[in-house]
Amino acid sequence: MKKVQFKSNYSQYFFLAPQLLILLIFLYWPIIQTFKDAFTMQDAFGFGSQFAGFDNFLFIFSDPSYFTAFKFTIIYSFVITLITGSIGLLLAVQANKVMHGKSTYKTLLIWPYAIAPAVVGVMANYFFSERYGLLHHLFNNLWGFNWYENVFDAYIYVIIAGSWKQISANFIFFLAGLQAIQKTVIEASIIDCKSNIRRFWTITFPLLMPTTFFLIIINITYAFFDTFGIIDTTTIGAPGSETKTLVYKAYIDGFKGLDLGSAGAQSIMMMIIVLVITIFQFRYIEGKIHYN
Amino acid sequence: MKKLISIFVLLVSFAFTSNSYSKTEIHWWYGNSGFLGDVIIEIANRFNESQDEYMVIPTGKGSYEDNMAATIAAFRAGDQPHYSQVYDAGAAIMVAQVKNGVVIGFEEMAEKYGIDVDADNYIPGIKNFYADGDGKMIGVPFNSSTCLMYANMDILNEVGIEEVPKTYEEFEGMAQKILDAGYIPLLQSHSPWIWTENFFSRHNLLMTDGNNGYDAVPTKTLFADTEAFVYHWTKVKEWYEKGYYGYKGRAWGDNQAPFTNGEAAFWFGSAASFGGMKGVLPNFTTNPIPYWDSVTGGKEYPTFIGGAANWILNGHTEEEYKGLAKFIEFMGSPEMDLYYHNMTGYAAVTKGGIELAETINFYRASPYHKAVGDQLGLEGSTIPGGYRAGNWPQIREVIYENVEPMLNGDITVEKALSNMDKGAAKLLKQFAKTL
Repeated sequence: MKKVQFKSNYSQYFFLAPQLLILLIFLYWPIIQTFKDAFTMQDAFGFGSQFAGFDNFLFIFSDPSYFTAFKFTIIYSFVITLITGSIGLLLAVQANKVMHGKSTYKTLLIWPYAIAPAVVGVMANYFFSERYGLLHHLFNNLWGFNWYENVFDAYIYVIIAGSWKQISANFIFFLAGLQAIQKTVIEASIIDCKSNIRRFWTITFPLLMPTTFFLIIINITYAFFDTFGIIDTTTIGAPGSETKTLVYKAYIDGFKGLDLGSAGAQSIMMMIIVLVITIFQFRYIEGKIHYN
Repeated sequence: MKKLISIFVLLVSFAFTSNSYSKTEIHWWYGNSGFLGDVIIEIANRFNESQDEYMVIPTGKGSYEDNMAATIAAFRAGDQPHYSQVYDAGAAIMVAQVKNGVVIGFEEMAEKYGIDVDADNYIPGIKNFYADGDGKMIGVPFNSSTCLMYANMDILNEVGIEEVPKTYEEFEGMAQKILDAGYIPLLQSHSPWIWTENFFSRHNLLMTDGNNGYDAVPTKTLFADTEAFVYHWTKVKEWYEKGYYGYKGRAWGDNQAPFTNGEAAFWFGSAASFGGMKGVLPNFTTNPIPYWDSVTGGKEYPTFIGGAANWILNGHTEEEYKGLAKFIEFMGSPEMDLYYHNMTGYAAVTKGGIELAETINFYRASPYHKAVGDQLGLEGSTIPGGYRAGNWPQIREVIYENVEPMLNGDITVEKALSNMDKGAAKLLKQFAKTL
């Protein structure tokens, strides 16, 4: 085999530079800054900065509302992943069967994906408004809905607000996954098995596993980080601090409370949590997936 | 050729824009929006028209919290405005920044640039709130409000109540009547500000140790230790359960909306709130906030100043500060003070403004404006006219976080108040470390 060797004249660094610079400015610099903040104690304007060791971490661990936020974030990402994944899959399977007006269905189902989370939150705000909200009145007639003080009701509010747009994302990927399955496989399975449902679970769904795995990660990341705008425009973390996600809490403490040390420590904790979840997924779930 | 033309057009437009900005620019950032923000722009416009050396450029940054965060971020980036509006809860943080050279105190500025409005020209309560430990005024009082009680007189007439309640005891006595007629008796828009901070001031009680932070850096709040405060929230919870008090979440507007729509008899809000109600709600009055007769023994005490002050930020040129000094002088004139008082409902903050209001019989024409001055002007308080406690924005968050589980019965009143104390003590200690 012939070895290809490029003569190095440093031009590669020149071409890499723009991309590296972007990474450096928008990724590595903030990360270093976050670490610095997390291990120092300083006032809002950055004065009186002194090394604080793990004080900021101890501070957040002694804060009961941090654990509430942790609990909520876990519940929230689990429920959102489950709801958006299953509804997205259902819609994709149905849309895949449609013969006429296929692209109309597709377009309509994909649309919500283009809406910014904050806008979704404002829309949800109308639906759940005590004064003129349709869903508020519906739920209120069913069981006396009051998200101002009832934790369960507040959960319903932010879960519906958070799921709606993400269903579209799941729909797109599942639809693409379904269309990638070879017709011959489906046709062969029709000969073997009459039951639609059984065929779906034994043939189609396993073939969709790579997509599902990908979407689980995407959905968890979405629930962790991107729902910030939704929380800020709906419950702002109320009642108590029951619907604060970890990101939202870091934002409140850092930008409203002006405590950068605590916010920095929370960001690092978040990084660790996401790292652990991702490692777990890749080690234990991915092994069970067959890529074709 | 096309390219050449567009470059030429660009250059010409550049030349023009740079020409029109030859005045010295003074940047003023603020945290009011809607109508209040429009009034701020109008003030700047009036100043800009009154002379042609300087130009004040107001920029709205959203809410008070947003503006404070933006100002701090701008300072850390070396791009701060000259003048920024920071609210009551941020006052301790701003006063503490004088020694770091972030903030220039008003008195220092007045001395250096010969501002014709001196600190004694501002009414004492307001002056003290934004002063440092030695009583030197740091922030420049601007929109000064306090919490007031708004009453829907049509509802009161309908149920046969002739007098607006002065005390919570009187309110409690009439609440059932209002409820029976199908109205919400009471709503309020800010649990930390109205029913915590100003509960203490209204009843002449200390809220934190260290004499509200005026004598020493505070280490704890006195919520659970204050019997009257425990009593108050026990009552509030009882009212909530009976339907005397309606809680509509943390959003200011959600709590105000039922009152503005004529569904509630009383609402506690800011002195500057009536603007949106005038012309919508036909017959309402502004009144001092009630107090517990059993706590004060019939005496009334003034509430704290709410709202915000403007703070002078360091790091600009002599020429620009000269312009800012002119602007401060302009805003402190009796005419501008009264103009702002009239437009917004915020208190008149200068002695000149108050005198002018009396000379022209202002309050006869507009009785809405009177309650704020009456309540702030009360005398006999033995506690300081404010609180000097850091991390207060976060402490307000802690208060909110415990009010909701208290109202829905998850935790008892005592537990909620001691939770607040614990959370606040941690934050106060954290702040003390950065001093």
